[in-house]
Amino acid sequence: MPGDHIRELYKYRQLIWTIAWGDFKWRYKNSILGYFWSLLEPLIMFIILYIVFSNLMKVQVEYYQLFLLLGIIMWNFFVKATNLGLNAIVGKPSLIQRVYFPRDVLVISGVITAMLQSLFESLVFIIFMIYFAIPMTWTLIYLPYILTIYFILALGVALAISALNVYYRDIQFIWIVVLQAGFFITPILYPLSIFPPSLQAIFRLNPIAQIIVTARDVILYSVPPYWVSLAYAGIASLVIFAVGYSIFRRLEPRFAEAM
Amino acid sequence: MPAVSVSHLNKVFRIPHEKRDTLFAALTGLVRPPTYESLYALRDVNFTVEEGEMFGIIGQNGSGKSTLLKILAGIMRPTSGTVETSKTVTPFLELGVGFQVDFTAVENIRVYGIIMGLSEREIEGKIDEILEFGGLEKFRDTKLKNFSTGMYVRLAFSTAIQTRPEILLLDEVLAVGDMEFQKKCLSILDKFKREGVTIIFVSHDLTSVRNHCSRTLLLAKGEQVMMGETREVVDRYEKGV
Repeated sequence: MPGDHIRELYKYRQLIWTIAWGDFKWRYKNSILGYFWSLLEPLIMFIILYIVFSNLMKVQVEYYQLFLLLGIIMWNFFVKATNLGLNAIVGKPSLIQRVYFPRDVLVISGVITAMLQSLFESLVFIIFMIYFAIPMTWTLIYLPYILTIYFILALGVALAISALNVYYRDIQFIWIVVLQAGFFITPILYPLSIFPPSLQAIFRLNPIAQIIVTARDVILYSVPPYWVSLAYAGIASLVIFAVGYSIFRRLEPRFAEAM
Repeated sequence: MPAVSVSHLNKVFRIPHEKRDTLFAALTGLVRPPTYESLYALRDVNFTVEEGEMFGIIGQNGSGKSTLLKILAGIMRPTSGTVETSKTVTPFLELGVGFQVDFTAVENIRVYGIIMGLSEREIEGKIDEILEFGGLEKFRDTKLKNFSTGMYVRLAFSTAIQTRPEILLLDEVLAVGDMEFQKKCLSILDKFKREGVTIIFVSHDLTSVRNHCSRTLLLAKGEQVMMGETREVVDRYEKGV
């Protein structure tokens, strides 16, 4: 990202925040159950998956409830961030065609809105953690790093699909399938250890898998993550971001005409 | 130094013969490449606008006026040529840009102000003034979707005039509305002129152009037909290009 562009975005930081916060509030004000609904949604999903998978599959994982809940909340962040990104540009034609501002402002706001929602959902997780008396240890110092690279990864993907969706409207249907497949190939319901090592290696290529696994290690099990996992997830996220950003920059000049 | 200088500006729209807006269509396009029609929206346009000047742009529909404004505003990029501006450009192409019906009046004022480059403190200081000007004090926290059309326009207008533009781009869409509203628009224009704001004014209303603009550009089918003293340019336009 060139320095000039970062300076310009910095000038618009207030716009980014106002849109993100306004959107976050609006989502909850508009439903009858309000803020409660946003907690209910992941909770219902969690309860169903927990009943099915803890009994049916006899998954033997320590603190499976928390293991599952953390996986769901983290995966949901990616789903929300990319879905908001998908509509960030095509959902605001009047802005794009009538006034100038850096277009990525809209995508960044979308990912921040998703982050706010996920932080809010985490309240449930924190309550569970206190209830199960999970010890909090020094390994939590890895958490900011893990969450930062996750944010960068989600932003990279959101930038790419937000721009592609302007030109190819079927991206949104393809994306539904991608997210569905992603839910099952990412270790959300199961630990990677259920697979033979050769298969595990393939699953570990998915940076989101690495991010979720290391987040569980540091939050639930007080296990310091492998530096290889951290480095791989970090580099993969930066590469995805760079690719997503360059796709966005390439397609951005003709947004106003293509909409 | 001129406020705006435009040289050798070209804008070409490539219009596909057959619209392809899905990934599937794009992939089949690899086998059978799409064909395009090139439409020159602007061809070799050159002009400068001096600091504090009010500059008119006239021409028939489809002459490229709106495209030119959008390029000046940074909303579209030129195909070739350069556009240089010495200060911030404030486009005023439509009332209520960026207004969201699910936001309240105050929230919309905030978002609009930020888009137009005002700081948070400036905006907070102006909210009351804006609502008062539009006669909407009672509807401060009402969502826009519950506004009548008239209230919407009043809010949009009073919000828009509170921004402190340096270079103002004004499109004819402002001329919609009743007599009183148009009068209000023109009085605001005079106020901006007195304050030394550079204004680029696009209009079909030749009387306003005559009264306000010192120089005028006449466009026809994307080409620059004439540029100079407003009187001469408008006379030529009225006689027929």
